[in-house]
Amino acid sequence: MNRSPRELISGYFDDVLSDEEHQELSDWLIASRANAEQFAHAALLHDRIRGELLATAEIANTADAASVSPARSVTPLSVWRRATLWATTLLVVAGSVLCWNGVGDRQVAAASIELDRLISVTQDSPDRIYQIAVESVALPLPRREPREPDGRRRPPKPPMDGAMLFVRRGGQFVLERTTDLGLLFVTGSDGQVSWAVRPDGPVRFSTDVTRFNHDVPGHEFEMPLVHLEEGLERLKFGYEVTLMPIESPVDEQSADAVSTRLLVAVKQRGGRGPQRVEVTYDVESGLIQQLRFVDMPYGPERLTLRLTLFKQRYLGTEFFKHDSHHSPDRVVEFEE
Amino acid sequence: MRHWTLAHPTVSAFVSSIVRDFTARDDVLQEIAVAAIESFDRYATDRPFVPWAMGIARNQIRLYLRREKRNRLLFDDNVVEQLAVAFEATTEQSTSLGFLRDCLGALEGRAKQICELRYVENHKPAAIAERVKMTANSVAKSLQRIRDQLRECIERKSLAEGGSS
Repeated sequence: MNRSPRELISGYFDDVLSDEEHQELSDWLIASRANAEQFAHAALLHDRIRGELLATAEIANTADAASVSPARSVTPLSVWRRATLWATTLLVVAGSVLCWNGVGDRQVAAASIELDRLISVTQDSPDRIYQIAVESVALPLPRREPREPDGRRRPPKPPMDGAMLFVRRGGQFVLERTTDLGLLFVTGSDGQVSWAVRPDGPVRFSTDVTRFNHDVPGHEFEMPLVHLEEGLERLKFGYEVTLMPIESPVDEQSADAVSTRLLVAVKQRGGRGPQRVEVTYDVESGLIQQLRFVDMPYGPERLTLRLTLFKQRYLGTEFFKHDSHHSPDRVVEFEE
Repeated sequence: MRHWTLAHPTVSAFVSSIVRDFTARDDVLQEIAVAAIESFDRYATDRPFVPWAMGIARNQIRLYLRREKRNRLLFDDNVVEQLAVAFEATTEQSTSLGFLRDCLGALEGRAKQICELRYVENHKPAAIAERVKMTANSVAKSLQRIRDQLRECIERKSLAEGGSS
């Protein structure tokens, strides 16, 4: 053997072996189980490298699309609307088919497998930054303004539209909203404590990690926007999950062309939570590009909002602590 | 129903090891996923899922090899069978590859460029060589070195994490 097994394996993956070298590699693989396992380890790495680099390239493309071209940022909406029509139509058809043959079982199995894959990819993802947009608000009937226990009028919730959500594994998040006066209102958690940095008054923190989630849509039914993995897990219960056909990119020659797929979860009767959750993801990498929550209860209102992946990048060790989001001279108070 | 998620890295690597053209590899992997879904009702849930999924993968690989029988640089059935068994034994190992993202992030300069040309743009060493002004042989050796470095980086991080926990 002129080349070492490592060289042969590497050359095989890059398709540079001669006929003789290819035969040498085949003979070496057949010679022992240990050789085959060494090859398998190398193949796992080779395969994963491609997956990671494709995902990274996709993220870069997503970020570019979101930050550079306003026209492109509108595109997902039209995709969503088209997909929603498809979803509604196909759900009706799928529901009929389910009644009389086994196709439904396979569809459900496929959707469930795919949902698990998306959850797994999301759990393994690095820090992520999402842009939040509110598409519509179903206004409640006129009612009395809620008041604090001491009779003061409760301040209005900061709007979700335009908010930025930063998330990390382990329940860590930072949600940046801007009040109507243009001031930053930041809530977050480092997984150990939760905190709120209001535009004025003291910074508050609590060892109850859900303490400052209460004005975030979804917290009432265990689908808080700030914990996306939990939200996706929640779709397994009380939701009918369906996969839409794969959508090929319009311009397949484009460098950022990826095939996407829509997973639609429709709430079952009697369940709690948004009426429908739509997940658009990159078919190859499983990377979620957009989440859309339709008719999501938010206090007395019902919101339709979407989260669009803006960027994936490491945010540092201190980012999810409150100190990183206010000046050091602010008063910090502990709250039960 | 987390089965497929767990089996996917092994099945995917197995397919990649036989079907080296990335586009063809994606097609075969998709065929396996569809076949798995269509025959899922025949899966006995008290049995391990990975060998079952690998069985489907073997069948699809055989179909692929039959279609590509004129290609001399493909493994024969005996090698494929030996590899399938080996891949089933490496399922656990795939979890340590979670450090790969960090290690890839540390690549710089030409190494990073070569890696992206190979894995993202799907170029072979000869085509990469033209882009980076190297010989094809040097590019092939660079790719081998990069993969070795990545493996060492993963092993270092795995050890460090094991030591700190």
